[in-house]
Amino acid sequence: MSKRAVDTVFEALFTLTDIRMMLRDTAPQHRLDDDEKEAADAMLRSLEGNIRTLREELIG
Amino acid sequence: MRCTSEIDVRDVDESCINIDPIQVGGRLTADAMKAVIAYGDGYSVCDHCRKPFRLDFIQKPPIQQFHKELAAFVNMDEARVVPGARRGFQAVAGTYVQKGDPVLITALSHYTEVLAVENNGGIIREIPADDGKTITTDSAAETIETVSREFCRPPVLLFLDHFDYQYGNEHDVRGIIRVARQHDIPVVYNGAYTVGIMEVDGKGLGADFVVGSGHKSMAAPAPSGMLAATTERAAEVFRTTEARTDLTGRTFGIKEVEMMGCTLMGVTLVGMMASFPHVRERVKHWDEHLSRGRKVVESLERIVGTRIQSEMPRNHTLTRVDTIQSFDKVANTHKKKGFFFSSELKARGIAGIIPGATKVWKFNTYGLSAAQSDYLAETFLGIAEKYGLDIQ
Repeated sequence: MSKRAVDTVFEALFTLTDIRMMLRDTAPQHRLDDDEKEAADAMLRSLEGNIRTLREELIG
Repeated sequence: MRCTSEIDVRDVDESCINIDPIQVGGRLTADAMKAVIAYGDGYSVCDHCRKPFRLDFIQKPPIQQFHKELAAFVNMDEARVVPGARRGFQAVAGTYVQKGDPVLITALSHYTEVLAVENNGGIIREIPADDGKTITTDSAAETIETVSREFCRPPVLLFLDHFDYQYGNEHDVRGIIRVARQHDIPVVYNGAYTVGIMEVDGKGLGADFVVGSGHKSMAAPAPSGMLAATTERAAEVFRTTEARTDLTGRTFGIKEVEMMGCTLMGVTLVGMMASFPHVRERVKHWDEHLSRGRKVVESLERIVGTRIQSEMPRNHTLTRVDTIQSFDKVANTHKKKGFFFSSELKARGIAGIIPGATKVWKFNTYGLSAAQSDYLAETFLGIAEKYGLDIQ
């Protein structure tokens, strides 16, 4: 069992959920202001980290 | 985009501003979506269910505590989660209504109140609305007197919607409940359009029961809702089973008869719980949502021929509008007929109005940001302008 992999999957799904909410909050034009762009950038970096972790845990 | 080979992804709220009159207060919070991801499996909240084996006793996740907070949220003594407001109506009707009993509703009541009464053989009597489509205390008092004379006894129950689903009009619940109490008629406060979007004080209003809808106004998945009661009424509506089976002699602990045992055993409850801290906070900001809604209404009123059928000024974000003399005139000559309007709205990223409707329709602006409500207001004006309708 890889607890780290399990936790990372949820963490990534939750971050994607926050991105989904950002799409909802800015619909229909999805024009992000500077603060929102900064938040989106942080979330995407977090996701990239999650993918790296999952690669390590599942593929080696 | 599809979820499966046969089920499309539903992305209406990601792609559009959704103003569907019944959907907006039930949109999930981010926390509810996350909880839904983790608790999607069937009996997901039951992992730690221990004696006495009842949903509202579970401590992990903190369901027991949630029930206490729910009751306090609407200032009542006890609360249970139910699969939609309608199941709350059903539980109360099942407790108090016998065949042939008179039951009061209003001329603007939701149909599920009627079904709950019918299910128990009750006889419906409606309190009429006035010309402005509101239910007044005088009208309620008069109807109670009339029905009491007709049946030689007062009605056994009164269902009262604080804001109705047809016009989003506010009705004088405080005054009507006061009159009902003078006749010892238990009152079910229907808060499907209030509980979760504005503050509700059940005991302050004098209500015996408060019913709320999770999927309509509490940012929860469907079907979900709540039924809250005073201590006195809770003992009746939340009574426990006394049954013993004849052959095997089985008994069923403290399962509640009207609840049919446990109610929301998974994703609906945990979604409701996850949204609850946000819901408890957002009710304090109702005025901001109302103010944004009023701006949209003002823009519609500027389109000559358009008439707001709901009471004015608006006291709710759900509004009914008559555009027979504006957008429907365009529809009469447009090749798409009434569908021109929904097409124009869709092209501008607005969803939730019944396709083809250009005569009388409803919308709800609850939950929109200031930028989104401004955009919506401009969109209505923009469509009117495009088709040559006069704007004041």
